[in-house]
Amino acid sequence: MLGPYEYVIWLICTLLEASVLVCAIRKGAFRRYFLLNFYMATSVVASIARYKFLHDFGFNSREYIYFYYYSDALLTVLLYFALSSLYSHVFSELKADRYLRMGTIFLLSGTALFSYAVVQQSSAKLVTHFVVELSQNLYFVGLVLTYVLWAAILKMRETRTQLIQLVLSLGVYFSLFAANYAVQNLHRTSGSFLEALTPLFGCFLPLSWAYTFWHVPEEARTVPSRLAVVPR
Amino acid sequence: MSRKLTVVFLAMLVLVGAMSLKTVVVTHGDGSVVMANGGAPQPPIPWKNGGAPQPPIPWKNGGAPQPPIPWK
Repeated sequence: MLGPYEYVIWLICTLLEASVLVCAIRKGAFRRYFLLNFYMATSVVASIARYKFLHDFGFNSREYIYFYYYSDALLTVLLYFALSSLYSHVFSELKADRYLRMGTIFLLSGTALFSYAVVQQSSAKLVTHFVVELSQNLYFVGLVLTYVLWAAILKMRETRTQLIQLVLSLGVYFSLFAANYAVQNLHRTSGSFLEALTPLFGCFLPLSWAYTFWHVPEEARTVPSRLAVVPR
Repeated sequence: MSRKLTVVFLAMLVLVGAMSLKTVVVTHGDGSVVMANGGAPQPPIPWKNGGAPQPPIPWKNGGAPQPPIPWK
């Protein structure tokens, strides 16, 4: 049964997602980071639709369950493309767009094939199994890709503060969920507390992106590579 | 050609890394899934029990206390 805590966090999260769009439009970053904003817009729409399904059919209804997992898979695919657009920004000077597109599609296809290979023996609800498995696997692919991108930012001495903060926020966001899930499974006694934290973590990405768009100007520069230098 | 092969190789490497990480994270998992989009409350997995309470396993002993194994 859902309590006021879940509803309040859900509302805050949805408002923060909408605020990302507002901040991006006000600061002129909407088109520059179009896929990121498109992901946030879709997430807002999905939240509203999920609420509608929850309100009309109930938390344990098949309608809400199916809509939740199918919309989640769609959002994960969109987040994956948003992440690939960050790659395009970082590698823009290398003119490697063609190879990035190829890599993005190849990796998505590979993940889909792998997911299908995992669930193909499920006799019932094969499509639903596949959708959830794909969403899970893409989530971990996104996690690894974010850290690879961070390594590329350090290696290439990327200095755009806005871009760096967007990538770092995504890395922290992915890591929070993975760490929380792993710790939940290791310490089942404190499971309910950690479970309560999960929706709270969902607010981190829109909050940090909204902050980045609002407070960090496009021309701001920083030198992250200095963080990696080990003094002797 | 070699650049294309490099892209394919890197993509495969990322996929292998991601699936290895997934294995590490969900090793002690109970079959639940990691969901990371929005703040909506996560419902039970569709194929887990569809919301209905899970019945006892039919062959378990129907609720009666299990006796010790005869040959122990």
